[in-house]
Amino acid sequence: MDGLEVSPFDGPLLALFEKRGAPLVSVPILQPADPYLDTAGEALRRRIFLTRGEGGENLCLRPDFTIPVCLSHLAERQALPRRYSYRGLIFRQQRSGPAEFIQAGVEDLGEPDLASADARAVADSLAALEACGVGAGMQTILGDQGLFEAFLAALGLPDGWQRRLIRTFGENALLGKAMGALARGAKPFTLDPALRDLAKAGEAGELTREIRVRMSEAGLPIHTGRSPGEIAARLIEKVAVAETRLDEGALEALRAFLSIDCSLDQARERLTSVAGRRGLDLGPALAFFEARNHALDAAMVDLSAIRYRAAFGRPLDYYTGLVFEVREPGSAEPLVGGGRYDRLLDYLGASEAVPAVGFSLWLDRVATLTGKDGR
Amino acid sequence: MTLTLALPSKGRLKDQTVERLAEVGIMVSSPEDARSYRANVAGIEGLEVLLLSASEIARELRDGGIDFGVTGEDLVRETIPDPDRSVEIVARLGFGHADVVVAVPEAWVDVEAMEDLDDVAAGFRQKHRRRLRIATKYARLTQSFFTRRHGIQSYRIVESLGATEGAPAAGSADIIVDITSTGSTLVANRLKVLSDGVILKSEACLVMAKRERAEADALLAAEIAARFD
Repeated sequence: MDGLEVSPFDGPLLALFEKRGAPLVSVPILQPADPYLDTAGEALRRRIFLTRGEGGENLCLRPDFTIPVCLSHLAERQALPRRYSYRGLIFRQQRSGPAEFIQAGVEDLGEPDLASADARAVADSLAALEACGVGAGMQTILGDQGLFEAFLAALGLPDGWQRRLIRTFGENALLGKAMGALARGAKPFTLDPALRDLAKAGEAGELTREIRVRMSEAGLPIHTGRSPGEIAARLIEKVAVAETRLDEGALEALRAFLSIDCSLDQARERLTSVAGRRGLDLGPALAFFEARNHALDAAMVDLSAIRYRAAFGRPLDYYTGLVFEVREPGSAEPLVGGGRYDRLLDYLGASEAVPAVGFSLWLDRVATLTGKDGR
Repeated sequence: MTLTLALPSKGRLKDQTVERLAEVGIMVSSPEDARSYRANVAGIEGLEVLLLSASEIARELRDGGIDFGVTGEDLVRETIPDPDRSVEIVARLGFGHADVVVAVPEAWVDVEAMEDLDDVAAGFRQKHRRRLRIATKYARLTQSFFTRRHGIQSYRIVESLGATEGAPAAGSADIIVDITSTGSTLVANRLKVLSDGVILKSEACLVMAKRERAEADALLAAEIAARFD
């Protein structure tokens, strides 16, 4: 524990995490900044407190615990599966308001039973709120990127379109814009007619040679960035969909899917009804969704008290499935945020795929809500 | 009561600025001592004129060290966190034109617009085990264009100190965001500007730092601004 700031919830929370098999881990406040900029992206640069070490390395005050906990796990070469809990200060720049926040939470690494691990994260976060004295009546919202991806695949959309829509999942304005653009069809683009003919004919080999010539004329290194073959493949894909557009039926089905907003115990029915209208099969993604609901049920979570929103997600590319939030109804800021981030440990240099899920509590907000704000 | 105005200290930008000021009756002449950064002024009372580099002028405007400055809009928007709140562009001066643009290798024949770049950037990590790298001196402008305007998250900025346009060939970045006036440097380096890749059309501007001023100073500031109407 940092010992810098204590929250009134430390006792009950740490006891709960310990009992649930997630012992406390301590990580430095000063962290390398590159893992953050590499994973969350440059947009984070303005929101973290950056500094430089004597050797010129970028350092930052930790803006969250997930990345430090994962890095510490990798550095210690711990066996999997393993659960960690944490608690302490995080630091984020804002135009106004405070820059320090107390968080506590759990990271659950390497559990192969994904449905159970997901359910455990939701159940533990609800139990943690209860341990802090947060009463009933909070709103829990759950989303699942896996279902969205399965829906797009079932619609049979071209790969490039699927990628484009998945990138914006969770950002409704961007998603709506992308859907609109696909429905209008691609804008005409300039392209050397000879290349366009090769791309139309699917002549990957010849196209690759042409691109390689251009790269070597420009003195571009062939092996450190985009390769000629990669550029050729994407050009062929782009030319192939240039004259098609998202048809009205698919657009309508997508809209119907994204507008699903119901209690979790009714979600299966709604999903199969929306998919069924177009004869779509959501396959393993739906089966997994159900398995998770069973696991939630087994963990004594009341499905009827959780809201499933099909459009709820987080537009960070290492979030892969479950996302959830708990908030006071009407409040703009969550008390708990959590989700599955199966790609993060790979990004951070893990030698094998590590499924992972976690959540954090915003203890300052919890303190305000419960009237225990003693800071 | 004194206000300070900073002008670019050398080159064409300086000459054009001095000409433009003369047109509105502010006569600036170079100091007798060539090493001095304080110029002589005639035609207006209470104005002190400093000669600084264009990037220094943007920083001084940000830090409140000067009242007025002539510098490029690109530098103003890059250097000052919330420019619309802390400074006011009093006049666009009609010279020093340059665009801040997104440019990619010509060999990227599949990339013609930001939408293509979005797709390439998103898939980059999976294919190359690293993010797409953008070399630039304009980190702030790049970030707000890519992230706020286009919702692109997955890229890394490589801060460039020297010749940005050489970064793709040197292998230190994949694409660049840089300033161009005629485009010839880009063409020479086999780079192309994306069809919707103009981030900012910049020119030299007279910029005023917004702040509380004593009445006399405020009147003088208003008079200077009025001369450029």
